Amino acid sequence: MSEKTSVLNKAKKLASDFWNGKPHEERRLGDLYLDKTGLYKHREWRGFKDTMYYFNMIWLYNYGHMVTDIMKYGGGLKGLPLFLKGVWRYRWLGQTYLPVMHWYDRGLEGMRGEGLRASAWHYRAMTSETIRQFMRMLAADQKTGGSKELYDRTPAHDETVWGGIFYPWRDRMDDVPLQMIPYFVTCHVNNHVVLNYIDAAQSIGLPGDPCPMCQAECGIFLQDDVPEYYPFVITSNEACDGSVGTSVIQDWMMDRPLFAMPQPMQFDDPLVQEHCAREIEECWKFIEEQSGMPMNMDELKKHLEEQNELQRFEWEKWDVAANTDYYPINGVAQALYRIYQSQDGNREIWHETDKKVRKILEKCVEKKINSFPKTRHRVIAWSCAPLYYSHWCTWAYNCWGLNCIINMDSLMFDMTIRTDTYENMLMDMALYHEWAPMRRMAVGGMHHIFELWENMEKFHCDMVMMYDQLQCKGMQGVHGLFEDEFRARDIHAIWMPHALPDKRTVSRSEIRGIINDYMTTIMHEKPLDPTLLEFDDSEGW
Amino acid sequence: MRDLKHLIKMEDMLQQANNELVREAQAEGRKAIGYTCYYMPEVLLDLPGCFAVRLRAPNCQTPTMATYYMSGRTCHYGRSLMERALEGGFNFLDAQMATETCTVTCRFQEHLQRMDIIQNPNFFVEFSDVPFKKTENSVLHYKKQLQAHVLDKLHEKFGIDTSDEALLKAIEQHNEVCRLVTEIGNYRKLPVPTITGYEFAVIMLTTLTCPKDKILPMLRETAEEMKTRQPDLKPTWKIKVAVAGAENDDPDFIKLIESCGAIVVADRYCYGSLPGREEIIVNEGQTPLDAIARHYLNTSCCPRFMPQDLMRGRKQYLADVCREYNADGLIVESNKFCEYWSYERTIDALIMPRDFDIPTCSIEKEYINSASGQLRTRFQAFVESVELKKLHDHAAKKAES
Amino acid sequence: MKNVLKALKILFLACTGLYLVLFLVYWFDLDGKALFYGVEPFLKNHYDKMKRKDPLEVVYKTDTPNYEYNK
Repeated sequence: MSEKTSVLNKAKKLASDFWNGKPHEERRLGDLYLDKTGLYKHREWRGFKDTMYYFNMIWLYNYGHMVTDIMKYGGGLKGLPLFLKGVWRYRWLGQTYLPVMHWYDRGLEGMRGEGLRASAWHYRAMTSETIRQFMRMLAADQKTGGSKELYDRTPAHDETVWGGIFYPWRDRMDDVPLQMIPYFVTCHVNNHVVLNYIDAAQSIGLPGDPCPMCQAECGIFLQDDVPEYYPFVITSNEACDGSVGTSVIQDWMMDRPLFAMPQPMQFDDPLVQEHCAREIEECWKFIEEQSGMPMNMDELKKHLEEQNELQRFEWEKWDVAANTDYYPINGVAQALYRIYQSQDGNREIWHETDKKVRKILEKCVEKKINSFPKTRHRVIAWSCAPLYYSHWCTWAYNCWGLNCIINMDSLMFDMTIRTDTYENMLMDMALYHEWAPMRRMAVGGMHHIFELWENMEKFHCDMVMMYDQLQCKGMQGVHGLFEDEFRARDIHAIWMPHALPDKRTVSRSEIRGIINDYMTTIMHEKPLDPTLLEFDDSEGW
Repeated sequence: MRDLKHLIKMEDMLQQANNELVREAQAEGRKAIGYTCYYMPEVLLDLPGCFAVRLRAPNCQTPTMATYYMSGRTCHYGRSLMERALEGGFNFLDAQMATETCTVTCRFQEHLQRMDIIQNPNFFVEFSDVPFKKTENSVLHYKKQLQAHVLDKLHEKFGIDTSDEALLKAIEQHNEVCRLVTEIGNYRKLPVPTITGYEFAVIMLTTLTCPKDKILPMLRETAEEMKTRQPDLKPTWKIKVAVAGAENDDPDFIKLIESCGAIVVADRYCYGSLPGREEIIVNEGQTPLDAIARHYLNTSCCPRFMPQDLMRGRKQYLADVCREYNADGLIVESNKFCEYWSYERTIDALIMPRDFDIPTCSIEKEYINSASGQLRTRFQAFVESVELKKLHDHAAKKAES
Repeated sequence: MKNVLKALKILFLACTGLYLVLFLVYWFDLDGKALFYGVEPFLKNHYDKMKRKDPLEVVYKTDTPNYEYNK
């Protein structure tokens, strides 16, 4: 009987594993990796439904769209040769576009059901918007024979100048940030590429200690790897010293009309708003002068109202994330989508995605579906994340049950913009501009960085993943006070050292080691999947 | 050269922030107002009833406690100030007028604001927002900030008279200091300068860190003394250099350069006099505050300014300074971890020799230069290379003629 | 009609075959392996050898305009 039962049980188990996928503790995801490369011996079996979903609706769907989007945004079939030329000319494009599905794999590892679907839609939106941006760059690029007419209608801006500044011309021009794709997106998809740019910056004598993000953003220009798609530029300070410094080198390399629109630092001060609002107006006059196109206020209002819709849905998402166990979006999808969307501004793809995600979100809440059932700790991630390991939260959940609910970057733009009067609109736009990515909680007074405590409470988090960007002077300058506060408040906080885009300073493996040490020695916990504790992905994308 | 009468006393004044003249002024009931950056107009802090003290942390070797708070990866200057504050060296301050103009000094001042470091129950920190541009919008903004966060606070907390008359009085005193410092500094332009870079650095720093009225008599005497001062019969230097760059309040750094055969004839760095000791002009019909705001924005050559014409124009300014002061070469320095000057130094080191034919030595230093051996080697090599260039240029000219 | 059915059958089989092949590519991460071992090294080699403009030869004008509008 026992043998028969045992065989039967085995068969049942096999059938269950085939249909549902293995239970979390039996997955052994670490066994799937090929040493060092981050490649898979074979991809994960997530159960029949989810594997088929991943294969059809993520892998095939996105590979397909990676071709059709090129045509969609590149003006039909002619988009394909344009794209190929770009791949051949620009390192950041060639080396990051093709392995993009591995970026999905890393971020969505171990995920199932609604969580997998909702997070994948976020990834899909970012991929689509990235294609849109670089196809516009290429279509207007004078280095690879792009259209002069498009060149005249494609202003460039620093990635922390909010796309909303250009809303009054969105019916005639299309603004493209300078570093968003060549630098920011690149780091997430293929972390090797950016190293060329950091080295390029240091090759002209720049010391190694300034923020490596700024170094990389300078190096792209020094390597002559930025498409020449723009007749003029709007730049900003990205509200940090290193970025101001970078602008000097960038300006030299760009060598074209440049309007500086720095974000004021003391943004709590009501006196600052008026000044910033006037800066925006000056910027608009500069754009009018350079482009010869007057502003369209209706267009501005329309886009702002649409952007407000995106913000309202984000608030709904935060509400579900904060107050229920049914939030279906994982930490990395939440962080990257939100920072991308809020900085980029109003685009059709964000609305399409939010519509799909809303359905999933509502379903999860109605049916009480917990996409992260193995959550042991609700984690809030604070300060700026390692770009080469933004998917650490996927690993941390799979290995330790650390569920990253929310992060600092997501919470930056916590506002809608009034459109009832010109004055109100301008004032709100000024404030939005001041709350630039990475900055709202980092400058303008230390109390902003300590908003962590109220957000911990709001999102019911019991643990902090404290990003420790080793070359960020602002965050390093407040290190000790955080230590003191963590002790005084008896908060479990894991310091995660990193150098933003530069994996050579602290590798992914070292980051995992730090988390492992904390979880075993301080928390005395056992891993959910011990095969994920240690593995070598040093050569992986 | 004959020793300057007040040099030793001035050197003494630089040994600690709470020096004899500061103590004297406080004993008279005046308030000591600390600041770190040129963007905080010292003239406003020198109103009758208070005086400005630009903070330094002389002789701070290892900022151990500050490194706990600000990590070892931030600028040594900011950390040294923090260390000095934690040691109690700034307890004499009545207020700190702060700016968020560079990250680490901002963080230092935020620590003063947040933690109970300064043992003075009435001590407070007030931040002003400083614009990144020099446009009318920037001037208007800056003026409002200075009114609200400096003048109004000084009046509210200490009852300081901040009327136009009081401001004009402060400007008058400030201008006299500037005139005298400029007059003394101009001796550096002579073919054979009658003042060394070190001596001038000491004088300049004293004017930043001591109450102006207390230092003025010494400045006046020094200016008189300079009129008859003769250079050494045989100069001890081989070349003249200008020094540009980040925060430097260490006269010994200048002494180090001068011990390598270069005389420092121009000081275009934070805490230097170029710019910094130009007189404030109040035009007819203009309010003193408007004149002050415009003056400080327009004279500053800080790498924090972002408009294209200013980013590029400051290279021209540097070249003009080198020409005006007959410098044979330029030393551009930045403090380790200073991001503004890391970039500015890099581009200066590339552009100045290429576009302006000015030999340039680019160095990274600490706040207190413990690595002086390495720096000495760099400076000696630079002096040799400039000397060689001068010889080649001379020979080429001779051959031409 | 027969031909149509035959064609449809061939099409169906071809599509199914292609689908299965793609699933195998997906399952064994052959896309990743091809990119990692083949395409990327080739492209990297190309980018490393690419002739680039010397940034230090870019002219640096110091007389650019002042963009100010609220005078």
